[in-house]
Amino acid sequence: MSSASSPAPSNATSADATPPLLDIRDLRLDFMKDGRALRAVDGVSLRLGAGEALCLVGESGCGKSVTALSIARLVPSPPARYAGGEIRVNGSDVLKMSPRELRAIRGGVVSYIFQEPGSSLNPVFRVGAQILESLKLHRPEAANEEEVLRLLRLVGIPAPESRLRDYPHQLSGGMQQRIMIAMALASHPRLLVADEPTTALDVTIQAQIIELLRELRRQIQMSLLLITHNLGIVGDLADRVAVMYAGQIVELAPSHTLLSRPLHPYTRALMNSVPKLKGQVGRLSAIPGNVPNLGSFPEGCRFHPRCPQARPDCSTQSTQLLEVEPSHWVRCPYWST
Amino acid sequence: MWTFTVKRLLHLIPILLGVSLLTFLLMSLTPGDYFTELAQNPQISPQKLAELRAKAHLDRPWYVRYGYWLSNAVRLDFGYSIAYKIQASELIFSRLWNTFLLSLSASVLAWSIAVPLGIWAAVHKDSVADRACSLIAFAGLSIPEVLLALLALMFAASTHWFPVGGAQGATFDLLTPWEQFCDRAHHLVLPTLVLAASELAGIMRQMRSNLLDTLRAEFVTTARAKGLPEGWVIYKHAVRNAINPLLTMFGYSLAGLLSGAFIVENVMSWPGLGRLTMESLSKKDHELVVASVVMATALLVIGNFVADLLLAWSDPRIRLK
Ligand SMILES: Nc1ncnc2c1ncn2[C@@H]1O[C@H](COP(=O)(O)OP(=O)(O)OP(=O)(O)O)[C@@H](O)[C@H]1O
Ligand SMILES: [Mg+2]
Repeated sequence: MSSASSPAPSNATSADATPPLLDIRDLRLDFMKDGRALRAVDGVSLRLGAGEALCLVGESGCGKSVTALSIARLVPSPPARYAGGEIRVNGSDVLKMSPRELRAIRGGVVSYIFQEPGSSLNPVFRVGAQILESLKLHRPEAANEEEVLRLLRLVGIPAPESRLRDYPHQLSGGMQQRIMIAMALASHPRLLVADEPTTALDVTIQAQIIELLRELRRQIQMSLLLITHNLGIVGDLADRVAVMYAGQIVELAPSHTLLSRPLHPYTRALMNSVPKLKGQVGRLSAIPGNVPNLGSFPEGCRFHPRCPQARPDCSTQSTQLLEVEPSHWVRCPYWST
Repeated sequence: MWTFTVKRLLHLIPILLGVSLLTFLLMSLTPGDYFTELAQNPQISPQKLAELRAKAHLDRPWYVRYGYWLSNAVRLDFGYSIAYKIQASELIFSRLWNTFLLSLSASVLAWSIAVPLGIWAAVHKDSVADRACSLIAFAGLSIPEVLLALLALMFAASTHWFPVGGAQGATFDLLTPWEQFCDRAHHLVLPTLVLAASELAGIMRQMRSNLLDTLRAEFVTTARAKGLPEGWVIYKHAVRNAINPLLTMFGYSLAGLLSGAFIVENVMSWPGLGRLTMESLSKKDHELVVASVVMATALLVIGNFVADLLLAWSDPRIRLK
């Protein structure tokens, strides 16, 4: 298994002395299964500055969630095992932190919202209490009902006073996701990680949640790491896009560049598979061939069995993520053809 | 909530009707009655026997007797025990108290050990101690209660640390109230341990697997992502959810306790409802059999009902449906 390390790509001018908010360097993570180490994340490097929004796209199982959860070391371990790399948050490595330091990072610097708001909220506690719990942990001075109500208003929940004492199952999916967002924002995080926040919601609700995230980014100085299957929302929300395939980043570029001039064959295939009909954005499945399974990634370029432009040496020659144009990184030696 | 309660209590009526009818029918299908044994006695003339039978209404067909029984039962008169020469309800209530005492102490013991142990085993999954717990649980589930009860009796007989069976000592009536209490407690120890042992294993395994499932739930990740200490994540967020299915189990466990108590009571001669049912069956004391079976059924249904109430109280998704 190749573990080509690549320079940490960033669009920020790396001249300033303050460390970036998030700096993932050559992250490698294995899942242990029957005594075998299956590499799920293989040499991912990402940098995210304050206030920046980055989108992570790729097919199911390519390691997006695992990468994102690693930022606060939330991947259960075992079965996960960090095989190498660093995850620097404000300059200090999350992988070396004590439990106490980790707890301060969780919520305090990085907050999460997930795909299924219904199962991400605890069913036996009132939503108000769940938000309050976050406040108590990170902003005890503001842990009161007024602040909870302010947060609920911030995320656009109508009549928040009457929602406060509801249980999660009494709310619709869209409302539940708004509660999750309110809970994530309660701790004043510097980075919000949204892992496919709209995939489980109705189409009209999806648009509302995306609109809410965009609006919140305007109001609050906060970085955003958005994981999505839907390249359609990338352009609106993200400054940069990282495309992942089989545990590696295969292309990284500013979003308008990537959308207008995708260089990696996988990115192109991904863009062609976006349904033309608006409102039919589901899971991507239109690329011929199957996503390789964990532990049996192809030799050479991992995409070559499905690649329309594959050449004979693609199956042997290992690939590097290279900056082929300013701020445009591609893991394909034949990007120019 | 009130309509729910009333509805459930109304469900009790057809169940009790069915059970009592069935018991009457089965009792009438088995040959012989309370006086069959008496008939062996040459000093009692057949006329006298017929007279006695008639007095106990045993000369009437079973459905007529059932009709009588029912009309009395509605007025809370559960018949007369010909063997004990006492009102069946009076007898049952004194025995019921014993069964209740035994079941209660066994459940309190079993639950208060099994739940923390199950939590601990789940949190320390695959550790040596977890494996040991699983092994003990497996043993607890596979050793029959009868055997355990017999072993306990042997233990009591050989060590003299505990009384061999019974619920109170021979001199009970001569003791001071405090000594009476100690005597009862002393008698209660072994039956409680036997009854709790098999109960414990099931609860522990259930608690462990529930918690393991819950710890994989997404809201547990959310709780961790908030920055909660792991102890809070487990005890506040996960255990609170993992306990809900156990409350349902509580109803079944009450059923299990009563039938378990049935065996333990008979082997260890604990004068409870189970033993009474057994005795009345062997003596063919019809009305007493029916009354105790009906009573046991009512207890089971009420146990399930209590479990449902607990679950509704604990799980808002059920309460607010
Ligand atoms: N707890 C786990 N144990 C074992 N393997 C895991 C675990 N979590 C994830 N994986 C594996 O790691 C790989 C990456 O998973 P990940 O959830 O990051 O994918 P993803 O890109 O987020 O996909 P999706 O779009 O379906 O969410 C998958 O092959 C998955 O099977
Ligand atoms: Mg995912």
